[in-house]
Amino acid sequence: MRSGKIGIRRERLCLLLAVLASLFLVSACRDRGAISYKVIYEMDRPAADETASPSEAANSRRYKIGVVPKVTDIAYFDVVKQGAQEAAWDLDVDLLYEGPSTADPDEQIEVIRGLMEKRVDVIAVSANDPKKLVPVLREAKEQGIRVITWDADTGPEAREFFVNMADPETLGRHLLDTLAWSMGEKGEFAVMTGQLSAANLNEWIDWIKVQREQFYPGMKLVEIVPNDDDPKKAYEGAVGLLKRYPGLDGIIGTSSVGPPAAAEAVREAKRAGEVRVVGLSTPELMRSYLHEGSAQAATLWSPKKLGYLTVVLARNMMLGMLPYDDQTIANVGNIRVHGDMIIMGEPLDFTKDNVDQYDF
Amino acid sequence: MISRIRERLRFRNVRLSAKLIVTYLLLTVIPMSLLGYVSYVQYTKSIEEQIGEYMPRFLYQANANIEKHVSELEALPDLLFNSDDMIAILRRDPALQSRAEQNRDLFTLNSYMARTYLGGGNPDVLGVFLLSKSRLFESTRLRYSGFGRNEAIAPYRYDVDARDKGKLILPSETGLRFENNAPYVLVMKEILDTDNRRVLGTMFIAVQMTFIDRILRDFETNDRADLWVMNRKGEIVYHTDPEKIGTFDPNVAGYPILSGSFRTNAAGGSARLVSLSESAQLGWVLVHSIPLKDLTERADLVRNVTIFVFVGIVLVTTVLSVLFSLSITRPLKKLSRLMKNAEMGRFQVDHSLQSRDEVGSLARSFNSMITTTRELIQTNYRIEIRQKEAELYALQSQINPHFIYNTLETISMAVEEGESESVVDMVTLLGRMLRFSVGNKSKTVPLAEEIQHVRDYLTIQKFRFEERLAFDIALNVDLEGRTLYSPKFILQPIVENAIKHGLERRGRLGIHIGIGKEISARSGKQDIVFRIRDDGPGIPADRLAELEHELRSESHLAKDSGLGLGNVNARIVLLHGPEYGLQLHSIDGKGTEVIVRIPAIARPVETPRSDREEGE
Repeated sequence: MRSGKIGIRRERLCLLLAVLASLFLVSACRDRGAISYKVIYEMDRPAADETASPSEAANSRRYKIGVVPKVTDIAYFDVVKQGAQEAAWDLDVDLLYEGPSTADPDEQIEVIRGLMEKRVDVIAVSANDPKKLVPVLREAKEQGIRVITWDADTGPEAREFFVNMADPETLGRHLLDTLAWSMGEKGEFAVMTGQLSAANLNEWIDWIKVQREQFYPGMKLVEIVPNDDDPKKAYEGAVGLLKRYPGLDGIIGTSSVGPPAAAEAVREAKRAGEVRVVGLSTPELMRSYLHEGSAQAATLWSPKKLGYLTVVLARNMMLGMLPYDDQTIANVGNIRVHGDMIIMGEPLDFTKDNVDQYDF
Repeated sequence: MISRIRERLRFRNVRLSAKLIVTYLLLTVIPMSLLGYVSYVQYTKSIEEQIGEYMPRFLYQANANIEKHVSELEALPDLLFNSDDMIAILRRDPALQSRAEQNRDLFTLNSYMARTYLGGGNPDVLGVFLLSKSRLFESTRLRYSGFGRNEAIAPYRYDVDARDKGKLILPSETGLRFENNAPYVLVMKEILDTDNRRVLGTMFIAVQMTFIDRILRDFETNDRADLWVMNRKGEIVYHTDPEKIGTFDPNVAGYPILSGSFRTNAAGGSARLVSLSESAQLGWVLVHSIPLKDLTERADLVRNVTIFVFVGIVLVTTVLSVLFSLSITRPLKKLSRLMKNAEMGRFQVDHSLQSRDEVGSLARSFNSMITTTRELIQTNYRIEIRQKEAELYALQSQINPHFIYNTLETISMAVEEGESESVVDMVTLLGRMLRFSVGNKSKTVPLAEEIQHVRDYLTIQKFRFEERLAFDIALNVDLEGRTLYSPKFILQPIVENAIKHGLERRGRLGIHIGIGKEISARSGKQDIVFRIRDDGPGIPADRLAELEHELRSESHLAKDSGLGLGNVNARIVLLHGPEYGLQLHSIDGKGTEVIVRIPAIARPVETPRSDREEGE
């Protein structure tokens, strides 16, 4: 009987051990010394990371972008060049900024052919003539070169999109508004334009006419004088205007060489304040005239920004990214897109008060 | 020693009760505990996996919200461009200005920033700083220190690599401290004059992280869960525990992934489930960490209840199994004790084992076996005693000094009378009788020998008593030619008794012995019947009844007078059953007849009958 009791006790012990063992198993995974990690679920990396690297790899090729101004060696297009160069530096692309020495479509065609021979990836052109350039640009397109326009457009069939500085309607109406404000909404005025064939200039002039008809019946447009973006020719044109129209009250320059030439002519004729000069030109060219009073206002956008934006959009196009409305372009700001026209922003007005803020 | 232990542990050597208990435990405890353990582990694992998969997705969403908010914050500096005047101030070169002009510009721009950034829609903005080439404009909600022109922000003055894109600066990277140590991050952005293509300055907007609080507020209600935002180096930008904002997460280097979930077992702490989501845009990691215990709270409750119930069941069933095995082994032990007793010769019957099961029936069989054995032993014992008595008696009667003396005297008389023939006969007869009585040890002898023996006896007595004694032995013809057996010494005691009583009272005696076959009225078998008839004085009726009673009651052993008849009867009954034995018929004064009935058997009987109980 005694041994039986011991036997039972031993069984109890076994049972206890079994229960303890099972409890230990249950809690065994808890007791560890060092920190250990066991991955349960791994999420896919955020998409941004993945798309960034392949495109980085893809554009290891440096794009060659040819930018063609209407003419070289005038202040406006030089400033555009600065902006384009800045963008080329920022984006690491090759920039070929080549233009004709005179604002002549045929000469521009030669420049474009030269770029085609250099096998650029993109040609961005500020067209001297919207029609004459079409065949050569189509030729370039057939060669696999992508074509955009900036500053001055061509026929839409020749290019993919047009980088415009400002809305032509806003700009044209605003140019007349600045003149009307300085000459008291009445009197005679003349327009000094670049090339009679340049599409952008003609559109602005159209809007100037519309604005005059709509709001300023007291004002009269007497003549439109082309200067082919040649400062000398412009000066001669201005002098001629002052001679032909002794009662002239204002001059609007729609290309950058116009207003300084007009101001110069007005100063020479000692009619400063009498003949008001406004128009599209750079602050640098206009600064002294604005301070003296021989010109009242200049209007422009930042040509640097235009050059910068053109190069950025050309490269984005090569990367497969077409511009869209309200897109934010780094170092430029938001752009707007109307159909195939990109608008860089609002025009800037320069007066004697603020002209010193600008360095172009 | 080891081998002894192994020997001890060998299963077949273990006690039956232990075997039963161990088997029972193996069949219940182990499967139950395994099942419980496996299902618990699987359940907690699936909870872990579910949370581990769901949480990073949520964090990813929360991260997207934070990113959106941060990009809104990054757009704040652009508000400056809404005012041409402010841009004009920044474009101015202070070196060309008078002190008063400089201070006017400072005042104008500071109040513009206060209006634009601190008033109205941005409650999170703590302060704005604008660092230009030579000036510092600032406007803050709280007092601050450590953010002068030449102080800790110096490295950030102009080197914003990702232009136009905001950069977030954490407190550890600058010396800027607000009063009350309010937590903040700095959104740094370069102010670029897009028209002149020039950098005007750098704007720093100090923002509280309360927006993260708003994003995460409704998300986690568990107090023990931690949510924090840190950069890749582990600096904590935001934490549900405000104390920890600005500190570093020491474990960040060990985290195996930054987007996903993992389980961590910190030393000393409890295991935690950590879920993270990394913002590619900000380089921030949103972390959610919760003790596993909280996730598996319900499973743990179920587990604990299960363990308690399990232990309870195990205890109850163990007691039951012990009781059950005892209920089997206790009767077996009792039985084995009885067997041991039987082995020692104590044939006891224990009627306490009355259960109806196999053990009970075994006990009953054993009991009946013990009973039978005991009876057999007693029977054998008695037969043996009778046999010994009979042999003793036979020896006594043959070497009876009286008989030998009488016989020798008769012989000597015959010698004197010169009847040498008779002498030779008598000596021969005496010798044969002595040989018969000592020669054969078996209990039965051939019938012829038994008859020869009684004939020898009577012949010797005839020599002695001459004409006073007459006898004849009639052997029926149907018994000749067959060897039949009879118990030894059954006739001589009867004849001796008849001579003794007959010649005591009368001068003459005639004895007739008839031997024949008769069919038993009871069994219908052929029996051998001896009839010993004498013409002696007979037995009075009361004495006859007494004798009959003594024959049946077996109490004759003590009595000398009845020794012969009782012994013969008892031996026959023991050997052949109660239907055989002696019968007495007597008429007082006329004579007595003793009838001896034995079965007709053709073989010697060596052992007493074992099937005696059949007749009882």
